[in-house]
Amino acid sequence: MAKPKSDVLQGTLALLILKTLEHGAMHGYGITLHIQRVSSDVLRVEEGSLYPALHRMEQDGWITAEWGTSENNRRARYYRLTATGRKQLAEEEKNWARLTEAVASVLQFAQ
Amino acid sequence: MCLLSRLKGLLQIRRLEREVDEELRSHIEMRTQDNIAAGMPPQEARYDAQRRFGSSTLAKEDMRAMDIVGWIDTIGQNLRYAWRMLRRSRGFALVAILTLALGIGANVAIFTVVHAVLLQPLPFPHSEQLVRVYDDLRANNTHDVGMSVPELWDLQDKSGVFQDISVAWPVDANLTGGEHPDRVEFLGTSTSYFTLLGVRAQLGRVYNVQDSRPGFTEGIAISDGFWRRMFGLDPSILGRQIRLDGDLYTIIGILPPEFHNPGRSLGSEVEVFAAAGFNAAPFPTPPQRASRYLPGAIARLKPGLTVAQAQARLDAFTAQLSREFPVEYPPAANWGVRLVPIQDDLVGKVRAELLVLFGAVGCVLLIGCVNLANLLLARAAHRQREIAVRQALGAGRTRLIWQLLTESILLATVSGLVALLILAWSKSSLLSLAPANMPRLNEVSLSSGVLLFAFFVSIATGIVFGLVPAFQMVRPNQVLNLREGSGGSGTSRRQMSISRTLVASEIALSLVLLIGAGLLLRSFGQLIEVQPGFDPHGVVIAKLWLAVPNDPAEDHYGTVEKRAAFHQEVVRRVRGIPGVQAAAIGSSTTLPMDGQRFRLRFTIESQAAASESTPVAEVGSVSPGYFGVLRAPLLRGRVFSDSDDSKSQPVVLVNDSLARKYWPSGDALGEHIRIGGPRRRDGTPAPWMTIVGVVGDIKSDGLDTATAPRIFLPLSQSPTYDAVVYLRTGMDASTLGDSVRQEVQSLDPSIPVFGVRTMDAVMKDYLAQRRFALELLGIFAGVALLLASIGIYGVMAYTFSRRTNEIGIRIAMGAQRRDILKIAIGEGLVIVTIGLAAGLLGSLVLTRFLQTMLFNVKPADPLTFLALSLLLAAVTMMAGFVPAHRASRVDPMIALRHE
Repeated sequence: MAKPKSDVLQGTLALLILKTLEHGAMHGYGITLHIQRVSSDVLRVEEGSLYPALHRMEQDGWITAEWGTSENNRRARYYRLTATGRKQLAEEEKNWARLTEAVASVLQFAQ
Repeated sequence: MCLLSRLKGLLQIRRLEREVDEELRSHIEMRTQDNIAAGMPPQEARYDAQRRFGSSTLAKEDMRAMDIVGWIDTIGQNLRYAWRMLRRSRGFALVAILTLALGIGANVAIFTVVHAVLLQPLPFPHSEQLVRVYDDLRANNTHDVGMSVPELWDLQDKSGVFQDISVAWPVDANLTGGEHPDRVEFLGTSTSYFTLLGVRAQLGRVYNVQDSRPGFTEGIAISDGFWRRMFGLDPSILGRQIRLDGDLYTIIGILPPEFHNPGRSLGSEVEVFAAAGFNAAPFPTPPQRASRYLPGAIARLKPGLTVAQAQARLDAFTAQLSREFPVEYPPAANWGVRLVPIQDDLVGKVRAELLVLFGAVGCVLLIGCVNLANLLLARAAHRQREIAVRQALGAGRTRLIWQLLTESILLATVSGLVALLILAWSKSSLLSLAPANMPRLNEVSLSSGVLLFAFFVSIATGIVFGLVPAFQMVRPNQVLNLREGSGGSGTSRRQMSISRTLVASEIALSLVLLIGAGLLLRSFGQLIEVQPGFDPHGVVIAKLWLAVPNDPAEDHYGTVEKRAAFHQEVVRRVRGIPGVQAAAIGSSTTLPMDGQRFRLRFTIESQAAASESTPVAEVGSVSPGYFGVLRAPLLRGRVFSDSDDSKSQPVVLVNDSLARKYWPSGDALGEHIRIGGPRRRDGTPAPWMTIVGVVGDIKSDGLDTATAPRIFLPLSQSPTYDAVVYLRTGMDASTLGDSVRQEVQSLDPSIPVFGVRTMDAVMKDYLAQRRFALELLGIFAGVALLLASIGIYGVMAYTFSRRTNEIGIRIAMGAQRRDILKIAIGEGLVIVTIGLAAGLLGSLVLTRFLQTMLFNVKPADPLTFLALSLLLAAVTMMAGFVPAHRASRVDPMIALRHE
């Protein structure tokens, strides 16, 4: 069944997750909170799409995961970027910049 | 997605599932805690956390799909669904399975032969090092002239090319000492033979280099077949002695049943293997370099040498030897030694045939698949609803296509299994249909390679016939089909053009097969029309072998006079058998189509100085009645008479080919020739022989090869140990054989009479291989034609049934039956024309591969092409006419209401 979601968010979910993990490991819930907080509640990552995305990225080798203990002494699975993942992040950031630039040019012209 | 991680996922299914569960639970816990911290009541906090996941089942399902678990799950689902669908339409499934089983079965059957004969290496260790060694005189383009003993030794010790080399000399031998004498197939070898091949005995031991002696080694090895036939598998015969050709040999070993000498034989499988040093009686001593009586050798190359490298080194070596011994290797003759990889030597001749048959049967299967595809397309209408519903529920296109493909693959796989079962059950009866002289036929079996092939062919078949219907059925936006009673003419039109294209391709393939079979048929017809140069009808032959004991003193037939007298007496006696009209006797090289040849060089007295290259001819000895019995014409001069004996002048007859080759403008009669070198083996000067007659060419080497130059000697002047009795008679072969046996054994009870056959049977065996290929290809072409006709009938019938509505309207608007018929036939004509054009093009390209199998017929023979195109056009048009006719007779009132 097709999931109704914002196309933009789906395409950029991987980018957001990669960026979130750039500076350290985090578990799934933490990634959700981080994105929500930093974007001032504009971007809400639904759990139903977060974990499939994380799983896919893990199989593609962009992130690795291991079990650890969270802040409140709970067992949680922490994700971390791999070298491939870092390269992928740089790539996606470049693409995103190009995309926004292009959209901006079109919008400017229309005026 | 990384395949490795998918596979890892498979192995750790349960652990993964637990981990995922745990991870999601911990996420929910954390959010619940945060919610409570933010002030929500605990119950609601938990609900909120859980709700955010939506259905965790869905998320989990998505993740599972990414693992191989998901794959296997899907395949399992597909299979179960496909099985249910097939069980529902049993009639269709049965028809499909039968047709496919036939097609796949035929393919697997032919592949079994291809695999055993062409693909599998010979069952010897490092069989790529094994070669056959032939001596050639390259200047004359004469091949296989025989090897001399000093050459053999030089090749072994000095050439640096071979690990081991051994003579392989098939001979007849007489087994005496029992009630009746028996003829045995005997192979004379060097002591290195079994070491070379890497063969060990199943009981006892084989001889090796330690057993070497100048003459024959006393220990012999026997085949499993001979052990069975002669000694009933009695193990105590090891160490016993048997008398072959008057000499006692001890049986030291029994060879395993799967061992077969990889080479020529005289009649049957080799039964007795013996080794000799060829440096003592009964062989001429001392061995002469010019005396080329060894028929060839088998050898193992040094490790690391390819055949090409070995051949190059050998060429250098033979050039050096030629310089060392200019008398024995006259430079004009350009003597050389040729290596042929042993597998090529055995199977080279049948390779083209087998590959053609394999291609043909593949075409038939393809045509069958096309028919099935069309059938599926026609039935697609019934399933459109089901597919539309599934798509509306969200099934992806890929998933549906896989589902449909699974059905066709399942169908094909079941057919493949049925085919294998049928083949396994009927294996022996099928093998008996193959021509007996097909090499390596005994190795044909349902090996693992064959099973693998059957598996892949089944899967490929399923994909081939299922692909187009699957893609056709699963097209986006099928919502229209959900409406009640939809005709969906929009989609059917595209479907119909696909069907038509498929039928046109069927017609093209059938034409290719038909033309192939037609060419072979014409070629065969040309072949049997070739005059053999003699009359084989009513001639019976029987073979004799006068024993050659190792000690010449014991040879009862050691002198020319004794042998000549024996032959004369045999002829006299058998001529007296009631029912025999004429009798003659000749050496075994005089038996047409039997394959034994004996080539010698000769010198022409009047052309001795001028001869640039050494003349070579095939030599045989005959009694005076030979040409009369075979009814071969005498062109000039006279045939032998009883007055030509060992005391009178040496005379010869030559055949027309020899006469025309060396005396193109003059007459050969009266000319003098000398066979072999200037000296005989015993040192006396070789005599000049007078040509007293020229006889017509007898096509002894095959109807499709040019007749080689031949010299006939009188049997009384040059009597051989091997003999063939020729009888012109109306009697049947076996009773006559018994009479001949009686007569011969009353003369000498130790001589067996064997190989009794009619000359007609000999000719039939010669043609057997070609006939077999022709019959098979003919059957394939016929089946292809039938399938193509069914195909076009089916498509036309379906097309018109879909357009009944439209036809009704046309008739109601005033169209005549004629006009409908014209439209119908016109459409059929288009399909057939396109099919024929493509088929003609394909044939032009593909029949080139038949070249080696054709005799007197060009691969692009216009007559065959034209005739078969017309035949195919006529048959397919007729097949298409029937539904067209029915369409034109439709009642407009009914048609208009049809949907």
